[in-house]
Amino acid sequence: MAGKIIADTLETGAGADISTSYVVNGSAKAWITYKGTSTNAIMDSLNMSGVVDNGTGDYTMSFTNNMSDGEYSLTDSSERLENNNSPSITGFETTASGSYIHNHWNSGFSASDMFRTYSQATGDLA
Amino acid sequence: MNTPEFQGTHLWDRLCWAKENLEGYQSDYRVVYEDSIDECAKILVPDPNWMACAMQGGILPPVWVYHELAKDEAQEDFKKHTRGYLLHETQPVDAMTEEEAIEYLIMKDCPQSVWQNWDSGNKPKMVICRKEQLPSTREWRNAWKITEELTVTDLAA
Repeated sequence: MAGKIIADTLETGAGADISTSYVVNGSAKAWITYKGTSTNAIMDSLNMSGVVDNGTGDYTMSFTNNMSDGEYSLTDSSERLENNNSPSITGFETTASGSYIHNHWNSGFSASDMFRTYSQATGDLA
Repeated sequence: MNTPEFQGTHLWDRLCWAKENLEGYQSDYRVVYEDSIDECAKILVPDPNWMACAMQGGILPPVWVYHELAKDEAQEDFKKHTRGYLLHETQPVDAMTEEEAIEYLIMKDCPQSVWQNWDSGNKPKMVICRKEQLPSTREWRNAWKITEELTVTDLAA
């Protein structure tokens, strides 16, 4: 059965109040798990339309529901290929409301594809 | 499964509904394009959850909505989107075939300079192919280009 909860605040068992806006504002508005090796593929996501493989370790992720501006917050991590012990470095190049560029480098600062990359965006939706 | 009547529902809520109720669709199509002669070919990979939304129908806004938002963002005095309602209140598009969805995605996520003039040069700027047609390794990835041997006439045929 479909249901709806309308509430401005949530209360814990200890009696502490929290505004529901904390939950809304703190939730990830988009996330993605991307395979950057061999034939690239998106493994799973929310609020993503596609990824452009710009070259080695350089990917543009596009939102389905744009963010309200380019000032949203991105976090990321990556997973190396098995038996590859070199550290990886990741970063974001530019942000627009509809997409962002995710870059990866190896420990020698050479662009490098990752077995899996993970990123998520928090902020305000358009 | 029928799509609920979503016009006026926030697009993000529709995407959450789709995530809960639709199975992702991994398309074998890839779009290879070149938007700069100084850079390697780029490859657009469709998102499986987005493909499911496109093929289900009644969820995604028309592609012109994204173009309108891009125009707003290109203004010098742009601060925040004030026409985000276009995403939520415009009548959603009907169900698309896989091929129609790829065409929509090209118009959404590839530069307009590529898809509006893909066939205006000596060789095409853009090719839709199957992932099996791409190299299976990423060796020399930063040197990949659309072959010079492919002509616009070849693609039209």
